[in-house]
Amino acid sequence: MPEDRPAPEDRTASAGPAARAVSFRGAVKSYGAVRAVAGMDLEIGRGETVALLGRNGAGKSTAISLLLGLTAPDAGAVELFGGPPERAVRAGLVGAMLQEARAVTRVTVRELVGFVAGRYPDPLPLAEVLELAGITELAGRRVDRLSGGQTQRVRFAVALAGNPSLLVLDEPTAALDVEARRAFWESMRAYARGGRTVLFSTHYLEEADDHADRIVVLDRGRIVADGTGERLRHSAGGALVAFDLAGRGTEGLERLPGVRSVEVRGDRARLRTDDSDATVIALAELGAIRGLEVAPPSLDDAFLALTSGGAEHGTAYEGETV
Amino acid sequence: MWDYLHLEVRRTLRDTGFVIGGIAMPVLMYLLFTNIGDADDGSWRTASMVGMAAYGAVGSALNTGGGVAEDRSLGWLRQLRATPMTSRQVVVGRALTGAVTVLPAICAVLLAGGLVNGVRLAAWQWAATALLLWLASVPFTLLGLGNGYGLTAQTTGVANMVCNLGLAVLGGLWFPVSLFPHWLRSVSAYTPTNRVAQLGVAVADGHAPAAGAVIVLTAWLLAFGSYAVLSYRRNAGNI
Repeated sequence: MPEDRPAPEDRTASAGPAARAVSFRGAVKSYGAVRAVAGMDLEIGRGETVALLGRNGAGKSTAISLLLGLTAPDAGAVELFGGPPERAVRAGLVGAMLQEARAVTRVTVRELVGFVAGRYPDPLPLAEVLELAGITELAGRRVDRLSGGQTQRVRFAVALAGNPSLLVLDEPTAALDVEARRAFWESMRAYARGGRTVLFSTHYLEEADDHADRIVVLDRGRIVADGTGERLRHSAGGALVAFDLAGRGTEGLERLPGVRSVEVRGDRARLRTDDSDATVIALAELGAIRGLEVAPPSLDDAFLALTSGGAEHGTAYEGETV
Repeated sequence: MWDYLHLEVRRTLRDTGFVIGGIAMPVLMYLLFTNIGDADDGSWRTASMVGMAAYGAVGSALNTGGGVAEDRSLGWLRQLRATPMTSRQVVVGRALTGAVTVLPAICAVLLAGGLVNGVRLAAWQWAATALLLWLASVPFTLLGLGNGYGLTAQTTGVANMVCNLGLAVLGGLWFPVSLFPHWLRSVSAYTPTNRVAQLGVAVADGHAPAAGAVIVLTAWLLAFGSYAVLSYRRNAGNI
């Protein structure tokens, strides 16, 4: 299995051990009047698993095109392993699962994956690739006769066939059902464990939080946050403290320590707080602890606060505040 | 690159449309056109054999461009750019795919001529005819690649069909040029298809190929080659 197999670091060593796997420095790419990537600075070290999180049109796919050397930046620089992306791709250090790719016609799974593996200097054994992507039993089938989810797994196999040091996955789970999604992430983690670098884009928060060491949030072509899921939650602030009002009023609640906003749903008060400990102690002093519940800040809230959707959400939220 | 050639040849031969349109059709048309009406014209059987083999080769050569357009629309060419393969390997691999996939049509029509229609040629004439038709298909592969890199999948299909039928009819691959009005005959002399047929017929008759045919075909080779290069350069960044 791949975790027993070290990543081919020797092939990247020529770039110098200090060289990052991925480096964006002030990268800009526009399509007409649209700045798809509007000045991006990003460093990804070797062995990291990074999620590129953003809504549709945030610039994720353009960033990935720049990264793979499929598109040249209008300004700034993009490097892989200390050199131009084309050089790393040519050297077989990179495997990619592209978003817009559809099923290759009139070719079997085995032929396709075997062909791509054969382009790389140090590919994984074919059986291992098929196993890892969960398509062993589809090996003899024609790729253009598979279901959407099966095709997606074949594309994953194509990406990792060459045993690349850097695996780039553009929205890898878009067409997968829940079970296939779980299996996919297991395989991805198994692959990443060998010391490889993985960069995947997604617009699912849970995926980014569950499967990446680090989340880079993109909005309108810019990086608006970069850190662990935990850090993102806290940067947006606001744990939730909820309790039953049991008939008492809400006056004064917004002046309790840490509280930023107060919302009432039915008989329950929901306090958004920067300091849940202080808020809970103050509530206890008031005796307002029936059905007390403390929830950590949600990543959804953090995401909305960080990206352009945050403004709309904030307005709606204010409206509900009592 | 040989692996790529192997893969693409297999994909082409699995294409039912290619097998029917590019191989079976020229054979059927040849047998039909030479066996209806006055069926005893031996020279027409030979000339039509060369014409239909050329027609099949032109169709197969253009089909290479259809494959390129299809692979662009599927994102397969883009996926290849994310592998260690160079763009040059991909383009050359495609051109060689065209060179291989024209062979079935040429061989099938020549076989139908020899086995069904009783065309009798010396061994070297069979070989030389096949070889000349094969070499003369190169400009059409380049025309197809130009279409495939320059146009969308749908328009490539239409453009290839128009080129194929237009050049075949105008070049006299379907009907003898002698049936054309005089002005059309002079136009026909400048088409690459007419000159391909001329080469083949000359060899089948035991003559050396005319210099005019070689000159006209070379001109088309350069023209279609430039078209392929230009259309590749213009669109390579978007693949």
